[in-house]
Amino acid sequence: MHKFLAIVKKEVLLLLRDKSGLAILFLMPMTLVFIMTLIQDSTFRTINEAGIPVVLVDNDKDSLGASVTFGLSNTKACSLVTQLDGKPATVESAERAVAEGRFMIGIIIPAGATQAIRANVQSLVELSLADSTMDPEDIPVLKQDSVVITIFVDPVTKKSFVNATVSALREFISQIKSKIIFTTFSEEIEKVIPGKNKSTPADIEIVKYNELYASKDKHFILPNSVQHNVPAWTIFGMFFIVVPLAGSILKEKTEGTSFRLKSLPGSYITIISGKISVYVMVCMMQFLLMICVGLFLLPMLGLPVLQLGSSHLGIIMIALSTAIAAAGFGVMIGTFATTDHQSAISGSLSIVLLSAIGGIWVPPYVMPELMQQLSAVSPLNWGLNAFYELFLRGAGLVDVWQQAFKLILFFLLTMFVAHLYNSVKKP
Amino acid sequence: MSSDVIIETINLQKKYRGSPEQAVKNISLTVFKDEIFGILGPNGAGKTTTISMLCGIFPPSSGKIIIDGFTFEENREDIKKIIGVVPQDMALYPTLTARENLSFFGHMLGLHGKELRDRINNCLQIFGLEKNADIRVSKYSGGMKRRVNLIAGILHKPKILFLDEPTVGIDVQSRNVIRDFLNELNKSGTTIIYTSHHLEEAETFCTRVAIIDNGQIITLGTPFDLIKSHGGAQSLEDVFLQITGVKLRDMNYA
Repeated sequence: MHKFLAIVKKEVLLLLRDKSGLAILFLMPMTLVFIMTLIQDSTFRTINEAGIPVVLVDNDKDSLGASVTFGLSNTKACSLVTQLDGKPATVESAERAVAEGRFMIGIIIPAGATQAIRANVQSLVELSLADSTMDPEDIPVLKQDSVVITIFVDPVTKKSFVNATVSALREFISQIKSKIIFTTFSEEIEKVIPGKNKSTPADIEIVKYNELYASKDKHFILPNSVQHNVPAWTIFGMFFIVVPLAGSILKEKTEGTSFRLKSLPGSYITIISGKISVYVMVCMMQFLLMICVGLFLLPMLGLPVLQLGSSHLGIIMIALSTAIAAAGFGVMIGTFATTDHQSAISGSLSIVLLSAIGGIWVPPYVMPELMQQLSAVSPLNWGLNAFYELFLRGAGLVDVWQQAFKLILFFLLTMFVAHLYNSVKKP
Repeated sequence: MSSDVIIETINLQKKYRGSPEQAVKNISLTVFKDEIFGILGPNGAGKTTTISMLCGIFPPSSGKIIIDGFTFEENREDIKKIIGVVPQDMALYPTLTARENLSFFGHMLGLHGKELRDRINNCLQIFGLEKNADIRVSKYSGGMKRRVNLIAGILHKPKILFLDEPTVGIDVQSRNVIRDFLNELNKSGTTIIYTSHHLEEAETFCTRVAIIDNGQIITLGTPFDLIKSHGGAQSLEDVFLQITGVKLRDMNYA
């Protein structure tokens, strides 16, 4: 125990005297959380709160235009504007506004659109009700005047936003078509059977949708920049201990202390476990600091408060497993490296790559399918997913133990690889 | 193994992984208790490799090492408790003070509490470092670092002390302090195994020396006997040059 404590004390002293190492460990993730949260906040707000900015030009001035205006105004997905600079939007001004990036999408409902739909429907109804015994010359001809709705799209707009808007438009057009068809049919029936036009309103909503967030304990939080960035950059910062830890192992090799340590009584396991313990403690301090940033500092900048979910035990377990996994990775990199440059570059580069794959930079759910599958190999992703579960989906200890187990397995694997490498490289 | 023998090596061989040549070839030697045994040789002769194997840093490719009746295969921890090692490189943490370094290595050697503090203070005083004990080692001169490096290997009063070039690159004053201390240590019962390029020092310091070259012992005996047995030699350096030649020796990196 004396030896273990001596190693811990030595490592703490070495860390405290490495000012740049400490800066990397604490200031870097904090800075990243601040910057990335502020940058991504507007994007998350666009999607979650204000909706996609859309400019609408209603040249129809009839049922279709009114229905689209009403529908888009009442959906949270869009932030609808029909006036630009105090005047009703025109085709030209709307196109210009989208081109300037003021709006993601511009929708133009052409003049006479409702009228064209009515004419088409009337023709369709007449054709449907035509008597088969009628003179062929008297059989009505199906009119098909196309209604063209123009959509201007800002090139930077995500395809999913465009699809969502087009889908909403289709729904409104479909509703208005149904209404016109129903009304036209009713009128035609009235002609044949007078007094029968006592129908229910055509816009009755036959199928309703009940949209609920699936959550483990009815506790759910919509993803926002804080909920993503605080755990993401905390994990990144924790894994960045790879750089000072690998550097510390390398220094012992190059400065000769490793030689002396090998000649001393006691096992390598005692030495390495003392070192790992200190770096795990550092990781836990990083974690605590970053949680405090999410709880107290970010709200001061007008950002949402970090919501921790309900399982504090689960949070501690995942933070600890992430710290242990990061320490194992650091030991492995330090074992492989033979120069300071190698250690620093391979350490930082591998973390940047694993974090990019693992969904630290952008959340995994906005990644393409292939990258989402690839992200499953990154230990940073395991940690991040566990924090999503805990913070957003109200998960508990039993829901995230698998991720913790994977992180511990990763630690064991890295230690095994380091041991194997040492055995093979033994002179 | 005679009761006076403290180290015995039998046909010790070492071939490094990936190296075409053997670094140490069939070294068999015996070191007696209370000796100051010098292992001398040009660069790349196999001195550090031999000492590293004797300290248990890495195993020999073949052959046997017996230290105070123990072997590394069976009694690794027992051997490590009775040996002290002073490596050629400064095996210290530069950002720690001398006292912090010594405290750490003392704990690793199984010492703690008052006993450790007293030994550290005593050694710091002997080596004239007590006033600078709380200054970081990185700020020390070469001689001061060498002295701390030595103290870190003798805190636990080892039965056998391995010194790999302990006086290389230091001033005369530091060298004298170190040499005087080692003589005292030897008188108190510590056997010293010592490698050096400093042949004049070895001549006066060692009770016996082995000159090795190309991984083999070329000659072994007391400095006096070696000088006497090599015609025309006035000093150990003359013997050394007669045996190893005057050609420059560099490490073979092939």
